Amino acid sequence: MKKMITIISHPKIFVYTVIWLMVLTVLGTIAQRDIGLYASQQKFFSSYITWFKDSIPMPGGRLTMIVILANLMSMLFKPNIWKLKKIGIIIVHIGAVLLFIGAGVTAIFSYEGNVVIKEGSQSNHMSDYHNMELAIVNTSKIDFNEYTVFDQPLLIKGSKLEHESLGFTVEIMEYYNNCQVVRRVEPLENPYEGMLRNFDIIELNLEKENTQNRSGIIFKISKIDHNKDGIFGLVLGQPVTQTATINNQKFDFLFQKKRTYLPFSIELLDFKKVLHPGTNIAKSFSSEINLIENGVPRRVIIKMNEPLRHRGYTFFQASFIEDQEGESTVLATVKNYGRLFPYVSSIIMALGLLMHLFINLPNLLRK
Amino acid sequence: MNICNSILISFFLIISNLYSIEFDERHFPIQDAGRIKPLDTFARNQLLAIYGKRSLKHENLSAIDWIFNLILEPEKMQELTKVFNIRSPEVVASLGLEWTNNDHKYVFNDVFSGLNSQVGLINDIRNKPDEIHINFEKQLLEVYFNASRFNEIAYSLSCLTPSVIINDPFLAEKLNSIPGKRTSYFQLIKYLPSISTMYRNMMEKNEEEWSETENDLINILLQLQNISSKESAQILKIIPPSKLDKTGEWLSPWELMDGESHEPHQDKILFALEKYLAGRYEGDKNAMILAIKEYKKGLLSFPNSKADLNLLEKETWMNEANLFYISVAFYLLSFILLGISWMIIPKWLKIASYGSLLFGLFYHSYGIYLRIIIMSRPPVSTLYETIIFVGFIVVIFSVAIEFLRRDGLGLFIGSVSGTILHYISFGYAADGDTLEILVAVLNSNFWLATHVTTIVIGYGSSLVAGFIGHLYLIAAIRRPENTSLLKSINKNLFGVTLIALFFALFGTILGGIWADQSWGRFWGWDPKENGALMIVLWQLMMIHMRLTGLAKPTGFALGMIMNNIVVAFAWFGVNLLNVGLHSYGFTSGVATNLVIFVIFELIAGFGTYYWAKSRKV
Repeated sequence: MKKMITIISHPKIFVYTVIWLMVLTVLGTIAQRDIGLYASQQKFFSSYITWFKDSIPMPGGRLTMIVILANLMSMLFKPNIWKLKKIGIIIVHIGAVLLFIGAGVTAIFSYEGNVVIKEGSQSNHMSDYHNMELAIVNTSKIDFNEYTVFDQPLLIKGSKLEHESLGFTVEIMEYYNNCQVVRRVEPLENPYEGMLRNFDIIELNLEKENTQNRSGIIFKISKIDHNKDGIFGLVLGQPVTQTATINNQKFDFLFQKKRTYLPFSIELLDFKKVLHPGTNIAKSFSSEINLIENGVPRRVIIKMNEPLRHRGYTFFQASFIEDQEGESTVLATVKNYGRLFPYVSSIIMALGLLMHLFINLPNLLRK
Repeated sequence: MNICNSILISFFLIISNLYSIEFDERHFPIQDAGRIKPLDTFARNQLLAIYGKRSLKHENLSAIDWIFNLILEPEKMQELTKVFNIRSPEVVASLGLEWTNNDHKYVFNDVFSGLNSQVGLINDIRNKPDEIHINFEKQLLEVYFNASRFNEIAYSLSCLTPSVIINDPFLAEKLNSIPGKRTSYFQLIKYLPSISTMYRNMMEKNEEEWSETENDLINILLQLQNISSKESAQILKIIPPSKLDKTGEWLSPWELMDGESHEPHQDKILFALEKYLAGRYEGDKNAMILAIKEYKKGLLSFPNSKADLNLLEKETWMNEANLFYISVAFYLLSFILLGISWMIIPKWLKIASYGSLLFGLFYHSYGIYLRIIIMSRPPVSTLYETIIFVGFIVVIFSVAIEFLRRDGLGLFIGSVSGTILHYISFGYAADGDTLEILVAVLNSNFWLATHVTTIVIGYGSSLVAGFIGHLYLIAAIRRPENTSLLKSINKNLFGVTLIALFFALFGTILGGIWADQSWGRFWGWDPKENGALMIVLWQLMMIHMRLTGLAKPTGFALGMIMNNIVVAFAWFGVNLLNVGLHSYGFTSGVATNLVIFVIFELIAGFGTYYWAKSRKV
C-alpha cells in the first residue's frame, strides 16, 4: 500500500501528465479554428480517449485530469509531506484537489441550455444546445395532451421506437445532424405524408458552430390507416406542425431541441438594449421578466453580469433575437451542482500559496 | 535636447496640472465613437487616420489648427494641403495619381477625382463581405472612407463660419448684419422671414427689372442654398442633447439649423462657436478668447452636464504631454547610465541609473493614472493598455529586485524590458484612439479590476522571470566559477516564478469565476482561457521539474525563458486564431513579430543553455 502511494504520488507523474495536458490544450485550441469550439471540446477535453487521426487512441482530457487528481490525492497521504514548513504547499494541493473534484461534479451532473422568450409571452422549459428530441403528442385525449418523447441517443438511423402509449412503431429511416429543405420537382404521393410530399430533406456538411447546424429526421410509421405506411419528415424549427391520424387518434409530431421543464415559468415583459451613444456598439442588454411560481409573479431584471439565480437554476442574459415579430430574449440557463467548488478551492489555494510565499519569499528574493 | 526640454516642461505641467488649465478650443467636447472627448483628441485621431501622424508635420500645423483651418477654408485646404498619405502604390495607381518614392502625400481634390473615377470598383468592393477583401481592396476602401470623412469635417460647421458678405445696406439692416462684413448661415437664416415679402414681390417681376438690392438678395439666397446643400455633414457631434433626450446622443450644428431657437445651452454654444469661428477667421485674439468663455458658459449651463470639463482638460493635456515618450526616455537613459557604470565610476552611475528608472516609473504611473481617471475604468481593457500595464509591472518588480540586490540586475531588467514594451505599445497606439469604449460583456469594472489586472500582473511577473532566466544563463557562461552569484540568481528566479504562478493562477481562476457569474460556465476551453491555462501549467511543470530534479538550475532557467514564449502566445497569439488567410495590417504584423520573438527566444535560450552547460566547472 505504502509502496503504491509512493509510486502514484510521485511528482514526476504530475510533470508528465501536465505536459500531456498542455499538448491537449494546444491541439484543442488550434483545432477550434477548423472544427469549432464544441467539437474540439468534445474531442480533446470532455473525452476519456481521444483519437489522433481517427486511428491512434490517446488519453483524452478527462482521463488525464483523473490521473492528475489521483496523483494529487495520493500525495496528501505521504507521511513526509506533513511538516509545518510545508503547510502552505499542503493547503495549495488540497485546494487543487477540490478544484478537480468540482470540475468532475460539474462535468458529470450539470446541464445547460437556453430559454428563448418573445416579449409578452411565457416559457417554462429550457432547450438543450445540442441534443434533439422527437415528441409525439396525442391530441385526442379529452383533458390533456399526452406527450411521448424520444431523446437524442435513441434517434439513430434504423432504430425502431415503441412505447405503450402510442400503439404503433416509429422507424427512423434517416437522421441528419445538418440538413436543408428543398422543394421537389414533382410532388410525391403515398406513402409520403405532409411536408415530405412537396419537399425533400437533404444532408449537408457540418458547420463549425454547432448551433448553426439544423438537424432533420425522416421516419416511417407502419399501417397508419387502411394498412398503409406513412413516411414523415421533420427539421429543426419547422414552421408547420406535422400531424397524422392513427387508430382514430390524432397525433402531432415535434422535432425540437431537447427540453427540460422548469418548476416555474418566466414571462418576458421587456427586453432592453442600450448602445453607446452615437454608435452601434452595445453597452448593455437587460430583460425585465416575471418569475411565475404557483401562479404568483415576481418582477426580476436580468442583466449582463447580473444573472437570476433561482432553485439551483441560473439564468444569464446571453443574447437576443430581433425579427419582424418583435424582440425575444435568449437566456442561457445552467443547473450546476459544482459551482461552489472553484470559489472555495481558489480561496484555499490563494491562502496556501500566500502562506508559502510568506514563509519562503524573503529568503528567495535576497541576494 | 528636445527631449530634455519636453521633460522639463512636462514636469512643470504636471505640477501646474494639479491646479487648473485654461479652457480653450482644444477642450471643446465632442461625442465620437461612443464617448465624450476633447476636440483635440478627435482632430488627432482623424489626422492619424488620414495622414498617419497626429500633427501635420510638413506644414508645421497641430491637429487642432488643421481641423479649424479645414473648417474655415475648406476649398483652399482641399486644393493645397497634401494630407492624404497613401502608402500603397497599387491604390495610388488605381486613383490615377503619381507614385513618388519618398513622399506619397496627396491633396484632397486629386484623391477625390481619382475616387470618382473608380466609383464602380468601390461599390463592388463595398458589396463584398469584409472577410474576403484583399489588401488592395481594404486600402482603397480606407482611402475612400478617409476622403468622405475629410469632406464631412470640412463642411460640418459651414453653417457657422463667416461665409456670406452682404454689401447692400438695406439688406444688411433687414438681415441684422453690418454691410461689407461676413456673416454666417446661422445668423441669416433667422432673419430670412423679414425679407419674404420683398422676395415675393420680386418674383412677380422680370429678371431684367430687378433693382441692385434685389440682385444682391438673389445672390445671397443662392449662396445660402449652396451652403445648406452640405447639411448632411454631421460628423461633429458637439452640441449636448436636449433635456428631454433619452438616447444620450449629441447633435451636430447642422441638426439645429431650422431657424428656430433651441434650449438655452444649445443656443449659447452655437452662438459662441460662431463668434469663435469669426474671430479666428479675422485673426482677432480677443474675440476668440471671449467666444471661448461664452462656449464654456454654454456648456456649464447644460442642466445635467455630461461633459466633465476637468476630464477634457486632463485628456488634452495628456495628448500634449506624451507621458509615455518621457518614461521611455528615462528608461533608455537608465540603461545607458547602467552600461557606462560597468566601465567607469560604478557606484554613482548606478545610483543615477536607479534614479532615472524611478523617474521613468513616475511618468509611466502618472500616464496610467490619467487614463484611469479619464475612462473611469481599470487600465487593462485593450491590448494596448495591457502592454503599457505589463511594462509598469515589470519595472516595479525590477525596482524591487534592485532594491534587494543592489548589483544592477534589477536595473538591467527594468530599463531593457521597460523600453521594449514601450516601443511595442507605440505600434499599437498608431492604430487610432487608444481610449476605446467597451462592449457590453467587458463593461464591468469589478471584474476588469480583479481578473484582468491579476492576469496581466501574471504576464508581467512571468516576463521578469524569463528575463532573469536569460541573465542566469549569461552569468553561467561568463562566470561559471562564481557559484554564489549563480545560486543567488537561481534563488531569485525561483522566487519570481512563484509570484508569477500566484498571479497567473488566480488571474485564471478569477476569470473562471467571472465567466461563471456572467454566463454560467466556469471553464469553456476557449482560446484565451487556454492561453492563460498554458502559462499556469507550464509554470507548474517547471516548479515540479525543479522539485524532482528533472530540471537542474540551468534547465530551470531555460524553462522559464521558454515560458516567455507561452506568455507571448497567450497574450497576442490567441487573437490570431480567428484571423484567416486574408489578415493584413497590424494583425499580420503581430504574427510576424510573434514569430521573430519566438525564434529569438529559442535561439537565445537554447544557445546560451548549451553554451553554459559546456562551461560548467
